[in-house]
Amino acid sequence: MTGPAVPVSARALEAARAELAEATGRGLGGRGALGRYAARLDALLRQLFDQAPPPAQPVAAIALGGYGRRQLCLFSDIDLLILFEGSIGPIDERFLHGFLNPLWDLGMTVGHQVRELSDFSTLEADNPEFLLALLDARPVAGDRALLDRFTVMFHQPATHAHIIESLVALIDARHARFNDTLYQLEPDIKEAPGALRDLTAARTIAALTDPALLTRGPVDAARLEEAEDYLLRIRSILHLKSGRNQNVLTHELQETAADQLGYPGAQPQQRVERLMSDYFRHARTANRSLQWVRAAAPMPVGPNLGRFSRGVRFIDPIKAARQPETWLSLFEAAIVHGCEVLEDALSVVRQNVSRFAAEDFFPSEESRDELMRFLRPRAGLYARLSEMHDCGLLGQMFPEFQAISWRVIRDFYHKYTVDEHTLLTIRNLERLSSACPPGRERFGSLVQELQQPELLVLSLLFHDVGKWKDEDHAIESMRMADHMMTRLDMPEESRELVDFLIKNHLQMSRVAFHRDTEDPEIVKRFADLVGIEERLKLLCLMTVADIEAVSPDTLTPWKEELLWRLYVDTYNHLTHAYADELIDRRQAGLSDLVTGRPDDIPEGELTVFLEGLPRRYLQLADAPAIYEHVRLSRDIARDDVHIKLERKDAAWELTVVTLDKPFLFSNICGVLSSFGMDILRGHAMTTPKGLVLDIVEFVDQERYLELNPNDARDRFSEVLHEVLSGKIDVTERLRRREQGMLRRETSRVSPVLYFDNQSSRRYTILEINAGDALGLLYRISRLISRHGCDVDLVLISTEGKKAIDVFHITKSGAKLAEPAQQALRADLERMLGGIDEVDQEYRPAEQG
Amino acid sequence: MKLIKSIVRPNKVDEVRDALEKLGIGGVTVTEVRGHGKQKGHTAVYRGKEYNVNLLPKMELEVVVEDNMADEAIKAIIQAARTGEIGDGRVFVLPVLQSYRIRTGELAI
Repeated sequence: MTGPAVPVSARALEAARAELAEATGRGLGGRGALGRYAARLDALLRQLFDQAPPPAQPVAAIALGGYGRRQLCLFSDIDLLILFEGSIGPIDERFLHGFLNPLWDLGMTVGHQVRELSDFSTLEADNPEFLLALLDARPVAGDRALLDRFTVMFHQPATHAHIIESLVALIDARHARFNDTLYQLEPDIKEAPGALRDLTAARTIAALTDPALLTRGPVDAARLEEAEDYLLRIRSILHLKSGRNQNVLTHELQETAADQLGYPGAQPQQRVERLMSDYFRHARTANRSLQWVRAAAPMPVGPNLGRFSRGVRFIDPIKAARQPETWLSLFEAAIVHGCEVLEDALSVVRQNVSRFAAEDFFPSEESRDELMRFLRPRAGLYARLSEMHDCGLLGQMFPEFQAISWRVIRDFYHKYTVDEHTLLTIRNLERLSSACPPGRERFGSLVQELQQPELLVLSLLFHDVGKWKDEDHAIESMRMADHMMTRLDMPEESRELVDFLIKNHLQMSRVAFHRDTEDPEIVKRFADLVGIEERLKLLCLMTVADIEAVSPDTLTPWKEELLWRLYVDTYNHLTHAYADELIDRRQAGLSDLVTGRPDDIPEGELTVFLEGLPRRYLQLADAPAIYEHVRLSRDIARDDVHIKLERKDAAWELTVVTLDKPFLFSNICGVLSSFGMDILRGHAMTTPKGLVLDIVEFVDQERYLELNPNDARDRFSEVLHEVLSGKIDVTERLRRREQGMLRRETSRVSPVLYFDNQSSRRYTILEINAGDALGLLYRISRLISRHGCDVDLVLISTEGKKAIDVFHITKSGAKLAEPAQQALRADLERMLGGIDEVDQEYRPAEQG
Repeated sequence: MKLIKSIVRPNKVDEVRDALEKLGIGGVTVTEVRGHGKQKGHTAVYRGKEYNVNLLPKMELEVVVEDNMADEAIKAIIQAARTGEIGDGRVFVLPVLQSYRIRTGELAI
């Protein structure tokens, strides 16, 4: 294996070691000699790298740790990273053997790590020593560009913060082993407090936080280098004299070291005392440097951002002044770390903000995404927005907001200027989400259920900007918000939602306080206005936050009660009564759909498709989605299943169009569960003609679709077709899955079952709230089908760990009579309570 | 003088005030109140769970009128606040012994 190169390599290694030994013998085995030794090893490694069988892809040999720092002593381990660009195959394995075996044959102690570049896309958080060694990465042989790519991936603020945290813990543990004192009679020259590791740690912390930190500390750079050189010279002697990786400066070796370093003195004891005196002086230097950087170093919390003991600030204010797109991350970091933005950082913003236009703060999609993340309601958001407003940033980012700065409107109710009222609405929402005031938990729980709470904050921020004019401010606010949303290139769906909230932000209080909400027609009209539950929740929270921001006494328990009653009545109307409201030809909004339809969809096809679907469908799907559904429904025949599977942010959306048949819904849920998919939300709809349109959003827990980009979708579609056409039984597929995955989780949420025969003319409504678990919807719907019930409509939602599902069911075309309800309830309760055995659940279906 | 205290549905306040204004009765005190009469609350269902709503939000309006206006005012209030359903509210009439204007301290008629 070693080939003819070994003798040459052996000679090269021998010569390098001899040179280092000779310098060490003269007491000069310090930084210079070790650097030369490392350079010779580099050359040797390059030679062996070149002689190894060529790999199938770019690869680099990278020096890590002490070798990376060029501080390798005679018997130090040689830490290497062999980095491949992509997946490692047999040819690459051959290269590895060809490269590493000769090193072992030479008797070198190689600590090697083999990685693919993609391995660094996630942090190896449980291996802090490796992460620390990576900080000293230095290319030795192979493709240098790989190291550059690795550097970009690895050096992230979050990684740096993790490394520092780990390093501090390692330092404390190491010092504890030495009783936290550097004054050891037989010190370990590498590990002891004040020894080489402390010195490296001081440099590491400074490099990762503020490179100028050491220059401001109690020890200047020259003294630190002197200390390092001294410690390395002793370490070289220890290795040379002991013939192994020995780092403890024993009494015996102290005499040898004192002699080799040329300390004067007639007696060995005198020479040793002088040696140890110098050692303690240098150790103290290293130790003081480390203490200083530990106390003064900011924790990296973002690019050019550090967290200090009192708050966050820019590490390099001059650089920050030129980068307005980074300013939002200053305030984000303060929220995330629960601290303040320090005054000097606010000054940087204040002094430079007028130089930039609104577009400069959000120049990229990433920066606009960052804004949306920033606007999520959570503790600290109001305080940070207020700081942004005070230093002129909010008005510059959003010139529309500037229009209401210090705006005074005199009426009997408002106690604050319009801008402060606006920010207080956000504070109120923030409190509902994080520290909910007693008695308002019911509203607080709604915040947790929102899909995009940041859009509510954005709507609140803009809901009153139109008050700079004395006309209908809601319409003017909406107009101004449109400018902002165009600037931010927001998706159409989000724009519509923000427009809706701003335009209607006074509607819920008008209805709740001034209309007879006991009149079902009033509730129905309000339900028509909001359309779907999500908008209802948003408008309800907006109303609560807005009223409370008028003055401290405006939101009384009386008003809360009226708002909550309207919310509940509307929610029930939307979820229980929607089945009776079907789309017909005179439906509002239908003409827009007809006019805007693509060429391939005739008017007749569109209207036939829509007729009989619940009206709420028009609120759920936008025009492009509706046209797509029309295409999916085209030429559908018995046993045909037309599906569409597409990515939707972090989740996936499955659309199934088919004709109704028994167990259809449970089979769809079963297939999803059999692939490990976790259903988040969805709607199942059936028209009176038997056309089924199911739209299900799910999370691909096992990343099946993502990790198998080539054939996963096809396989998924194939299984779905086979199950729905009755070729295979989904229970078999589920049985094959690990039982543990499907075993219901013991949930803290007590299941709630509610039957309602009143709210709908045609259906029995069954609402089930239960702890969410993989396969839950499958089990529920299968049980309903086993009771001979038809599942016509389903609303699926998941809120945290709770599943909230509303089924519209019939039995033999009619509502369920009381005995049928009781029988179904009993079986569902047994199943949800975990009384049934799992195996029983998956026994073959008695499908009819 | 009579103190007329009416408990009405929240959405009826504006109508009651308009009716009183038409009679030339301008001064009114409006308070948000919660309570129950015969209606005794109701059961609401939210997400499958039933909740008893015992205290219902109502509005209380207080006006003080001359004795000779009382009957007309009561009639106007009842007419404006009535829907015919349970929960329309109540009107209480109390005698007023004296009334003082705080600003001047004088006895007001």
